Amino acid sequence: MTPRQQLIAIAIALVATAAMAGNASAQDNTVKFGVSQYTTHSQTNGVTGLGVPPGADVKTGDATTVILTYERMFTPNIGVELVLGLPPRIKANAAGSVAFLGDDVLSAKNVSPTLFAAYHFGETGSTWRPYLGAGINYTRFVGIQSKLASDVKMSDSTGWAVQAGIDYALTKEWGLFGSVSALKVKTKVVASGPTVLQTTVDFRPVVYSLGVAYRF
Amino acid sequence: MKHTKSWSLLLAAVLLLGACGGGDPDVPGSGSPSGAPTTKGTFKAVVSFGDSLSDVGTYSPPTSLAGDGSAPYFGGQFTTNIVRSSSSVGTVWVENLATSLGLLVTPAEVGFNGSSVKCPAAAVPALAGTCTGYGQGGSRVTDPNGIGKAAGALTVPMVTQIANHLARFTSFKDTDLILVYGGNNDVLIQFAAFADASTLVQIDLAAGRITADQARVAQFNAQTKAQVEVKKAAQELAGYVRTQILAKGGKYVAVMTLNDISDTPFGKKTVPANARPVLTDLSRSFNLWLRDGLTGQPVQLIDTFAIFKETLAHPGTFGFTNVTDAACDVDKIKAVTGGRVTDGSSLFCNNTPDPRINGMTAGADSTTWLFADSVHPTTGGHKAISNAFIAQLKSFGWL
Repeated sequence: MTPRQQLIAIAIALVATAAMAGNASAQDNTVKFGVSQYTTHSQTNGVTGLGVPPGADVKTGDATTVILTYERMFTPNIGVELVLGLPPRIKANAAGSVAFLGDDVLSAKNVSPTLFAAYHFGETGSTWRPYLGAGINYTRFVGIQSKLASDVKMSDSTGWAVQAGIDYALTKEWGLFGSVSALKVKTKVVASGPTVLQTTVDFRPVVYSLGVAYRF
Repeated sequence: MKHTKSWSLLLAAVLLLGACGGGDPDVPGSGSPSGAPTTKGTFKAVVSFGDSLSDVGTYSPPTSLAGDGSAPYFGGQFTTNIVRSSSSVGTVWVENLATSLGLLVTPAEVGFNGSSVKCPAAAVPALAGTCTGYGQGGSRVTDPNGIGKAAGALTVPMVTQIANHLARFTSFKDTDLILVYGGNNDVLIQFAAFADASTLVQIDLAAGRITADQARVAQFNAQTKAQVEVKKAAQELAGYVRTQILAKGGKYVAVMTLNDISDTPFGKKTVPANARPVLTDLSRSFNLWLRDGLTGQPVQLIDTFAIFKETLAHPGTFGFTNVTDAACDVDKIKAVTGGRVTDGSSLFCNNTPDPRINGMTAGADSTTWLFADSVHPTTGGHKAISNAFIAQLKSFGWL
């Protein structure tokens, strides 16, 4: 199995395990809506290609977006959460020896659903409930734009995801949440224009989210 | 059964991949041609398209010993020339290759300054089929305005060279060994345009009219423009191979990549060190898009880029003692041509001791020095090229 297939298999196993773990309590569904700051700490293997000077690089930026999550509790403490977001457009600026080319040499929208298995501390009904989660992220890059190349391909990314968060209950149904998650998002970029440029971008994103939660 | 099915599917997938030329479909130029013949050819003609490197004597008339355009000629080939009569074979790689096959190849067109004769060899009816050496000094892939056009060179572009062959012989034959080796002049012209733009940028920078970063951007844009044009030429050449050669009956088709022009005396002695990588990468860009355009096509690519690098890395192995200097002397050629030729072009460089026509640098040797002038090979250089190409054709199973 490829690493990607392995991750998908693990995710299915996690969902299945959670589903079999027992009867859910009364309030076993949560929907959250929030604002996320998608910050990247990118690393590349350098940009290579004909006509590209040594030391050419790119650096990705940050973006703010909104997220929607759905979590199903399978026990009072264990749930599976799907996180969807409005795809943020991540821009890359020229760096290293080609920094003179300026900002926004490449940009793409990251369509990035993440599936977490989460463990919630405390008990159902507690006012404060911290949680930890682990799962997988799948990222597809759409709306790719570059002023340097007419045809840019970015491979899909499948990687691990971890998150830590805390829920604060306002009423039985409504509450607030805050979370931080880290993802493995890595893509191979092939930009075909006058010549062919290649790089691998490891975005190393950390996503900070705040918002409201509704339980039912 | 299930296993049989999945294996056959896998096999089909592998075969499809093979047919597509492999490589990463997302990465242009990472595949290869495929499906060229693997059997020995029964060759009756060497059909060569290209530029000065493949020119077997288009511009001989201005080197007429009698001075009236008639043979014998003291020059006419872009190398260290021998004196050629109307029936003698020169020392260009195309001729070496033809000779090794027991064949004769003569110029498809001979002339200068607007007057030319197509297939002069046809004056002897038995030789009417030999005028398949289409390469001309200065020729480009598509643009008829080649290097030296203003000075009288014909510079018939490769697209027209191929069309002329089809006009004369109707189609390509299974018995044709077809050699396509061009694009050098497109690279040289685009590099010259880059160099001109670059010079202006440096003047503006020195005068304080632009910042260092603005200068870098302007240089980058000039380089990009050259890359765009070189890509266009390479894609066009690949297109002609597909639609005008393969689709018109061409069976044994070998296409050459370009060598690294920055390795020539022109590149080493004229081009500033910081511009050399631009020149190198223009040759490589041409090769990339040529390869991309021929991926999956039934031709064989001969990687001249690698062959030249190997020759330069181990000159002794190939019998060379000098791979940096031009064997032809600028002043002697100027004297031989009565002051008309001032750039030391090997077209007018003769290798015989006769002081009236000799154009060789003192101490230079036409067999152990690689370069005749700033970009063209000596007789020995052409021999090394034909040796390498013959070895490649053998490895394809064609010879």
